[in-house]
Amino acid sequence: MTEFLATPIGTLILLVLETLAILVPLLVFVAYATWAERKVLGAMHLRKGPNVVGLFGLLQPFADALKMLMKETIIPAGANRALFLLAPVITFVLAMIAWAVVPVNDGWAVAKINVGVLYLFAISSLGVYGVIIAGWASNSKYAFLGAMRSAAQMVSYEVSIGFVMVSVLLCVGSLNLNDIVLAQRHVWFVIPLLPMFLVFFISGLAETNRSPFDLPEGESEIVAGFFVEYSSLAFGLFFLGEYANMFLMSAMTTILFLGGWLAPFGVEPFTWLPGPIWFLLKVFACMFVFIWVRGTLPRYRYDQLMRLGWKVFLPLSLFWLVLTAGVLMATGWVPRT
Amino acid sequence: MIATAAFYVFAAVLLGSAALVVSARNPVHSVLFLILAFFNAAGLFLLAGAEFLAMILVIVYVGAVAVLFLFVVMMLDIDFTRMREGIQRYAPVGATVGVILLVELASVFGSWQLLPQSASLRGAVAPGAVSNTAALGDLLYTHNVLLFQLAGLVLLVAMIGAIVLTLRARKASRRQDISRQVAQRVEDTLVLVKVGLGAAVTEAEFQRPLPEPAVAAAEPHGGGHGHGGTHAAEVR
Amino acid sequence: MNWTLALPEIALAVSGMAILLFGVLRKEESGFLASMLAIGALLLAGVLMTATGAGHAYDGQFVVDPFSVALKLLILAGAILGVALSVDYNRAEGIGRFEFPVLIVMATVGMMVMVSAANLMTLYLGLELQSLSIYVLAAFARENLRSAEAGLKYFVLGALASGLLLYGMTLVYGFTGTMDFARIATGLADPMQVSAGLIVGVVFILAGLAFKISAVPFHMWTPDVYEGAPTPVTAFLSTAPKVAAMGLLLRVMIGPFGHLLAQWQGLVVLVSIASMLLGALGAIGQRNIKRLMAYSSIGHMGYALIGLAAGTVSGVRGVLVYLAVYIFMSAGAFAVILAMRRGGRAVEGIADLAGLGRSDPALAMLMSVFMFSMAGIPPLSGFFGKLYVFLAAVQSGMWTLAIIGVLTSVVGAYYYVRIIKVMYFDAGETGFAVRPATLSIVAAGSGLVTLLFALFAAPVVAMAEAAARALLG
Repeated sequence: MTEFLATPIGTLILLVLETLAILVPLLVFVAYATWAERKVLGAMHLRKGPNVVGLFGLLQPFADALKMLMKETIIPAGANRALFLLAPVITFVLAMIAWAVVPVNDGWAVAKINVGVLYLFAISSLGVYGVIIAGWASNSKYAFLGAMRSAAQMVSYEVSIGFVMVSVLLCVGSLNLNDIVLAQRHVWFVIPLLPMFLVFFISGLAETNRSPFDLPEGESEIVAGFFVEYSSLAFGLFFLGEYANMFLMSAMTTILFLGGWLAPFGVEPFTWLPGPIWFLLKVFACMFVFIWVRGTLPRYRYDQLMRLGWKVFLPLSLFWLVLTAGVLMATGWVPRT
Repeated sequence: MIATAAFYVFAAVLLGSAALVVSARNPVHSVLFLILAFFNAAGLFLLAGAEFLAMILVIVYVGAVAVLFLFVVMMLDIDFTRMREGIQRYAPVGATVGVILLVELASVFGSWQLLPQSASLRGAVAPGAVSNTAALGDLLYTHNVLLFQLAGLVLLVAMIGAIVLTLRARKASRRQDISRQVAQRVEDTLVLVKVGLGAAVTEAEFQRPLPEPAVAAAEPHGGGHGHGGTHAAEVR
Repeated sequence: MNWTLALPEIALAVSGMAILLFGVLRKEESGFLASMLAIGALLLAGVLMTATGAGHAYDGQFVVDPFSVALKLLILAGAILGVALSVDYNRAEGIGRFEFPVLIVMATVGMMVMVSAANLMTLYLGLELQSLSIYVLAAFARENLRSAEAGLKYFVLGALASGLLLYGMTLVYGFTGTMDFARIATGLADPMQVSAGLIVGVVFILAGLAFKISAVPFHMWTPDVYEGAPTPVTAFLSTAPKVAAMGLLLRVMIGPFGHLLAQWQGLVVLVSIASMLLGALGAIGQRNIKRLMAYSSIGHMGYALIGLAAGTVSGVRGVLVYLAVYIFMSAGAFAVILAMRRGGRAVEGIADLAGLGRSDPALAMLMSVFMFSMAGIPPLSGFFGKLYVFLAAVQSGMWTLAIIGVLTSVVGAYYYVRIIKVMYFDAGETGFAVRPATLSIVAAGSGLVTLLFALFAAPVVAMAEAAARALLG
């Protein structure tokens, strides 16, 4: 068996299986994230949420998916056909391929590359293309406004995310995601780098266009923003992409700050649960916060959004970066690789 | 074998999309092809074993620079047929200059020879036995720290320049001042008035902080919005 | 690593940023205070320079030797004069913002790095830092169409020149495999091995740098930029950057490419002659005094290039003396030009000077000193500048160059003397507005230096000699 796996065909089969092992659960989680969001929001609003289709409304995601697939794909007359259809595909594919490097347990990643953090950062910074191309190709005012907002917003918040990542890297001394988790054996980075954790999470909200930074959609001002012209499967891809991106942001937060698959404190009884379960629990906790924030906070105004990004987060993360480097140098804790 | 095939694929797509960048009719398509070209360049970097550079290329050029390009190009309403009007007229001149340069270059490179001792003159380019991320860091922050800082100063000056030449303080805009908002107290904004039955409130009126008076006199130059010419006439 | 060698530059850059912060955080107009702080920072850098030693630093990319110290002192002097001249003008023209002195400080950092460069990359970054700051300064009066045009023109042509320079650098790097000046020099020790490509590279580098000193045929931008830019910027442009670019040219041509003297000498001679001729002839028809100064500066750079063409110790010494003399003459002349205000605005016509001899004898006297000095009349400082470069040319047997230099000086004297004639013999309007104290101080100080140069010529020449020996030694 092992000999067969070493052959090119065996490697290929293994790769496909690994990919499926990541993507299938991911898509299931994404489907149920929509259900969970409606349930949680419902609870916050003292409503019941979906409860008709299946037990506790558990079949609701499938009903929604079916409905979406049955609808007609409408392409506006003035739209740029190729780009119009390319945009949702870009969004969806980017949200999926980022998972290639995410380690769910020690060494459990499809691609164990040395610059994993940079790969994640690169992929997440590409997410803006789906939005901006969709907005432009739709040839519609609202869509274009949404795309413009999104481009400015995502580029702005990427800067602080970058600095946050660099300060984590300073504490680890490696760009490998596996090493980053292992470096948190003694203490999760959320404790020494708490302000950076907050900056990262909030920037993550902005990066995924989630409330309270959902100006690119802004349904009360610009209808639905960049995907106002989309319907059917194309819309579905955007929808899946958005939730997959939320999962990705949660996974990044987990890996960078919450100790990945490591059990809290590394002691019994916490260690009884296997690593992947811990990883999932942490991701779900982050996802809950995503939804919680949406249920709690009103939308930011655009100037407030820019102000927060450039005048608060950027100086703060820069300062904390310098501080981290200074403390590491002063105490001699600089990691050696 | 796979690496060689990947190289040719990346290289071919890179060259093809680079050609399309300059020949595409629609500027937005040009930028999109530029992005494709960046991706393939990153692929070539990966094949060369420079994974750090590949990722940085994607992050910086595709993730930030090209987004802003796209942003600007989408906002501009460029009429390309009009821009191409002069091409017939100027093509012969451009072609002549191009041919002359090409011939000169060919003659230079035709007789090109490296200095015999150039291998020994070379600075230590690649420190051995470290990952290329560490090697880059070592080169940038240890050996070339002066150049790195100077480049930073150049960027700072570019930033100052952009602000100096374009930023206009709009005195009439109502800026949000968070600290003022937070320091606001109930007494500042709310007046409690006892209203008798059937009476009306006459003395208290709704008050709103007005923006600072936007007088043109506060800004003696050009009146604020790009009347470059008027002032020029005044000085001369 | 001996990083303290760059302490003056570091201190200057840091204080530049501190002034920037100060200006941003202070809400009200802070141009004056920022200028004073900038002058303080420049003085501080000068003091620090005497404290730092000599040698190479930063992996051999940065060098401090008597040559760089001498040039840096001149650059700092030029920058201080530039800031001092700008204060009142900027306030009167409504461009008295704190970014102005900050940009001058940053440009000065760039220039100091330029003359200390021991590597092609350091050279380029220093040059870009200087140029970028000056592009912005040239367009600083942004409401003024001429100023914006000047900035844009300078930027576009400067970018082209940078492109040429970079192209030359890549050719040199491609041939020698190194960017380090000392290594290039050892590699080129035997000129017989040098291929044509390298010569092309050297020519491109020479062209790029000739643009920065506005030598013919790369001078086209000069009159327009000089005329359009705010006058203090023009004053600054004609002093410190010229010194820095000339110093850089000397260092590059004599240092790494010193062994190729025979290959580039003819080219420099040609550029020098063309600059002297154009400077002399082009200025004759000018009515605007800033344009006249532009042509004058082209001519002066031509004279300075004579020393480079000689390529000897006495030649380099001549260039340094010339530069030292030139910045004070030029700053003084611009102080007078800045004093030309009538009815609340600046006037720039040569005819506007008419009658100055009666309305303001002191100012007219100073202007005469500067003009006579620029024409090279003994015993003023300009005479000594010319004397030393001509001497070097004669010593190297370049008689043609010296003779053409003398002839163009005679032609040049015509338009300098014409200004004096206008001031004293033409009937004119009423005098200028009361001039601010800074202008009087700068004009009087420069006037004294120009007038009494003969008294302290010996130490200056000795310093230039030491610097030249350090470069060639």
